[in-house]
Amino acid sequence: MRWLPLSAVVAILVSGAQAAQLPAPTAVTFADDPEEKEGTVGLVRWHAPVGYRAGGYELVGYRVEVEQLEGKWAGGRRIGAAEAKPFEEAAVVLDRGATSAPVERLSPWRRYLARVSALYMPAADAARLSEARPLDPADPAVRIASALTPRPGAPAGAWFDVEKTNVLAWVLVYSVIVLVTIAIAQRHDIYIRPIAGLQAVNDAIGRATEMGRPILYVTGLTGLSDIATIASMLVLGHLARRTAAYETPIIVPCYDPLVMAVDREIVRDAMVEAGKPQNYNPDNIFYVTDSQFGYVAAVDGIMVREKPAANFFMGYFYAESLILAETGASTGAIQIAGTDSDTQLPFFITACDYTLMGEELYAAGAYLSRNPLLIAQLRGQDIGKVLIALMLLGGAVAATCAVIFPDISLLSSIVEWFATGG
Amino acid sequence: MLVQFFVPHQSSQVAYELLLDWTRIIGAFAFVLGIGSLFRTHLDKIRRRRPEAGYSVVTLVAFFAMVTIGIFLPTAEQQSVRAAVLAVDTGASFQWLFDNVQVPLDATMFGLLAFFIASAAYRTFRARNFEAGLLLVTAVIIMLARVPIGEMIHAKLPSLYEWIMQYPAVAGKRGIIFGAALGSIATSLRIILGIERSHLGG
Repeated sequence: MRWLPLSAVVAILVSGAQAAQLPAPTAVTFADDPEEKEGTVGLVRWHAPVGYRAGGYELVGYRVEVEQLEGKWAGGRRIGAAEAKPFEEAAVVLDRGATSAPVERLSPWRRYLARVSALYMPAADAARLSEARPLDPADPAVRIASALTPRPGAPAGAWFDVEKTNVLAWVLVYSVIVLVTIAIAQRHDIYIRPIAGLQAVNDAIGRATEMGRPILYVTGLTGLSDIATIASMLVLGHLARRTAAYETPIIVPCYDPLVMAVDREIVRDAMVEAGKPQNYNPDNIFYVTDSQFGYVAAVDGIMVREKPAANFFMGYFYAESLILAETGASTGAIQIAGTDSDTQLPFFITACDYTLMGEELYAAGAYLSRNPLLIAQLRGQDIGKVLIALMLLGGAVAATCAVIFPDISLLSSIVEWFATGG
Repeated sequence: MLVQFFVPHQSSQVAYELLLDWTRIIGAFAFVLGIGSLFRTHLDKIRRRRPEAGYSVVTLVAFFAMVTIGIFLPTAEQQSVRAAVLAVDTGASFQWLFDNVQVPLDATMFGLLAFFIASAAYRTFRARNFEAGLLLVTAVIIMLARVPIGEMIHAKLPSLYEWIMQYPAVAGKRGIIFGAALGSIATSLRIILGIERSHLGG
């Protein structure tokens, strides 16, 4: 089946007299495309005319046109007003055996009529068609025979992607676990294991205070839309609160201006909360550039000139992570990094004194604040990890047994349940 | 955004695109804040004659050069400043500056990685204990297997490399990804429910 993009096919109109003799497609229908879930693609189906030849003409393809009817519709009921659009070409199919064509850029709230026109050419011209000389629908020799859908149709969008049911189920189960543990936390003390990187935060602050040097804090190279950046900001808030008491300056070069604006608010409020609002200096939290290596060069320059006593790299990083960490190491600073970027963790682990890996970055806020609600959420995370481990084990056993016992459909169903669609 | 992931209907996608557009617009306004901060920082360093003021001068000169050339310098086709200002695409001079100044500078910084990797490896790969020794042996196997001499040393070295990268490395990586994913969901829940508000200044 060969498709042509939508184009101005306007010359196939002089065939009125001839069209009456040429058979048109039959049983034309317009329906939803079951493969497409958004509701913007419809499927026009038809039956090919009986025989490909009639009156010296030969069938060479079909043209599909769609008319948008007036109004907005939902489930057969009119729900609003909207203008109609006349017939527009939606597809040209150069395959006389074709019986369907998708129509794109529709709306699930509108209704459409479809018209399928069989395209005929004189037999001699049709025989000369080839890849090098394709059909030109504007050719005056082309004749058409059209048929209309008997009733309007509309694409139907799906309100829920059933292929993601397993993902939704897990998200709901895990969310319930976290919320329940948060609710229970108010009645119990919860132990959390010591995390070396977070225990070293106080040491880093003390070192910077004693040496009279600033602390450098890098929030990563992503914006507010990345949860790692928000987790980094939570740590920044706690750090700013602690450094405010010692009047240790904290330098925060920012990659994103929105992040800069939020960081300023966080640090200002932390210092007000610590009772040291006069120590807040907005010039210490500044925008550098959103160019990756330009930012790295700037931060390296700050490290070499200002010689901070402690460097914190918290957030999401890319290839520049090692450049930052190595430069910081060369200045003699104590370095604490935290990222959920699995590709950059090895670099931070080799070059930094302490590294928070993955979930430890998200636990840092709870760990530093010692808020019972936040610590309880960590327990929920651990329960979730246990469940994942059990699912991994169960899934591996089921997948292995499914291969050994292919006749047991339950095993295959269990394996398919974990498959992610879409 | 969460709902949009599970609802493929066009209405959901339209709402998602609308929110994305709002985010881009707000981000564009935020750039005004960023540029203001940039100017303030560097002008302050120049005014106070800080030792690194020279870098600030270079920064500001480069900033104005790119803005001037990008907005006001007409291309051969535009032939007037007004046409250049109204044009959507930047001119050939702007592209030349980007291709011949920005890109080589980025490549230079990226090239530093090779030296930093060597220095980090020299400091790290020391067999102080079992874990460090295991890291050292694995790193040597991986490095040798990636160069032709590795196969000359032992024919099975590339296969061992493939096995290490496909099984233990992937297993460790997935474990970290699982943990990070759970942590991000939990953090998102805390923020959505208002349990964690410090990033809002509260």
